[in-house]
Amino acid sequence: MKIFVKHTWLFTKRSLLNTIRNPFAFIPNMVISLFFLFVYQAGLSGISKLPAFGGASYLAFILPVSIVSGAIGGAGGAGQSLITDLENGYFSRLLLTPASRLAIVLGPIIAGMLQLLVQTMLIMLIGFMMGLKVVTGFGGVVVVLLLAVGWGLAFAGYSVGFALRTKNAQAAQAGTFIFFPLLFLSTTFVPYDLIEAEWLKVAAFINPTTYVFEGMRAVMINGWGESAIWQAFIVIVLFCIATISFAAISARNAVSRG
Amino acid sequence: MKSMIHVENLVKTFKGNVQAVRGVSFSVEEGEFFAFLGPNGAGKSTTIQMITTLLKPTSGRAEIAGFDVMNEPEQIRRVIGVALQETGIDPQLTGRELLEIQGKLFGFQSSVARKRADELLELVGLTEDAHRKCGKYSGGMRRRLDLALTLVQRPKVLFLDEPTTGLDPYNRKLIWEEIRSLNKEQGTTIFLTTQYLEEADELADRISIINEGKIVASGTQENLKASIGADVIDLVFSTEEEARRASALLARFEGEVKQSGSELRLFVEKGPAKLPEIIRQLDQEFITPITLNVSPPSLDDVFLNLTGHTIQAEKLKREESHV
Repeated sequence: MKIFVKHTWLFTKRSLLNTIRNPFAFIPNMVISLFFLFVYQAGLSGISKLPAFGGASYLAFILPVSIVSGAIGGAGGAGQSLITDLENGYFSRLLLTPASRLAIVLGPIIAGMLQLLVQTMLIMLIGFMMGLKVVTGFGGVVVVLLLAVGWGLAFAGYSVGFALRTKNAQAAQAGTFIFFPLLFLSTTFVPYDLIEAEWLKVAAFINPTTYVFEGMRAVMINGWGESAIWQAFIVIVLFCIATISFAAISARNAVSRG
Repeated sequence: MKSMIHVENLVKTFKGNVQAVRGVSFSVEEGEFFAFLGPNGAGKSTTIQMITTLLKPTSGRAEIAGFDVMNEPEQIRRVIGVALQETGIDPQLTGRELLEIQGKLFGFQSSVARKRADELLELVGLTEDAHRKCGKYSGGMRRRLDLALTLVQRPKVLFLDEPTTGLDPYNRKLIWEEIRSLNKEQGTTIFLTTQYLEEADELADRISIINEGKIVASGTQENLKASIGADVIDLVFSTEEEARRASALLARFEGEVKQSGSELRLFVEKGPAKLPEIIRQLDQEFITPITLNVSPPSLDDVFLNLTGHTIQAEKLKREESHV
């Protein structure tokens, strides 16, 4: 167990080193997240005057979109880095050491989570500078961070599993396109009741991202005591179980290919 | 002496019924330098990947240092060092960082890992480049770093899958010297695959020739060459037609004649003694070779004799079929 933790930490450090040395792996994602925040806030904030918003600030409403988009991108990096390892042969080199397979896969995932935690804090900081108020205070900020990391973990499981299954950079890249339906077929811009098209309502209802958005919004705008908060955590836990099992099975199969 | 690698009837069939390895058996003694010689696609890499725990065999058995590949992969990974055909390095890290990580994965303390990295950098001549990202290394430097990475844990058995393919002569010699001294001075058992005859000839104690997933011959270089029991006479003519006529003429000799284009290769016992007779025969028909060469058989001749084509020809054939 001690060795397992040691190896996992070694792989995490190595992934972090890789991230720092290759800033183009995370800067574009960060820029897109902030772009969403600025542009949607600037262009759409007027609609928060609609009664369905109940007087909420649009900044607090749209901030989760920026955070989740950053989290998905950051988590996708974990799968991307495994693909890079597979392509340059380093993955095989690691498979030939006594390190556990789980540690090899966990390293980039944890590094991805740390990266997206920093990213989320930065986005929130910029939000605060733009005048963001969180009614539940510090505890609420912690909940938002937890939700972001939890959601990132679920997506990292998906991206790692997909990477190990396809072993191909282009295919893995294609796998991240799920980003768009996840982010936009949801209560992205307006509350559920304001969504016009029936199909989009159905999609938003099924899309787990909706529950993450609603959980973050509840804690920032309405306060504790909202069912949306624990619903968000349940959805994330279920989703994590599904995607991480997928990643673990893919990792086992990746070793005995052919 | 105990056997360090023991392989019985190893088979690998990939999806789509591609039979990469079709029942390979061999044993390598402790301290022995053993080579698998064969063209691209003969099944060398697939065999290495199976016996180093990277690939599950379809059937058959393999043991390394007494551990079973299927049931005791972890114990095996502690005693082997493997340099695959594709180097396994993370280009974002420096040579030193990679070596230290490798050491720690094998349970070294930080200070020990650092010391071991120093030793190995020195050994493969990369001390001055230790702090550079290895993505910036040349092909030869990467190979040398890759070899150093496989040596970190002082493996008992070293697996080298075409360690010099694509290298310039300078780096090839460096790697040769390195692995030879590992074998001779430290007693490391070595399993090497190669498509270069001179590499197998120069380094190995014993060779198995592999072709299309099967071992077609095994033995020391001398045994293999002697198995031909003949010298090789190479003749080159100015036209293919001439070569054909010469071939018909010389077929009367005991021995084998193989023609490719305007070239003839004769396998004849006591070659030098037969030479005057051959010349006389050709002269009577007014056929004059452009060049003539008599030599003891090479490993390529052994390969040609066993498979009907040379390794070089096999290589070209593969490359063409890939296009």
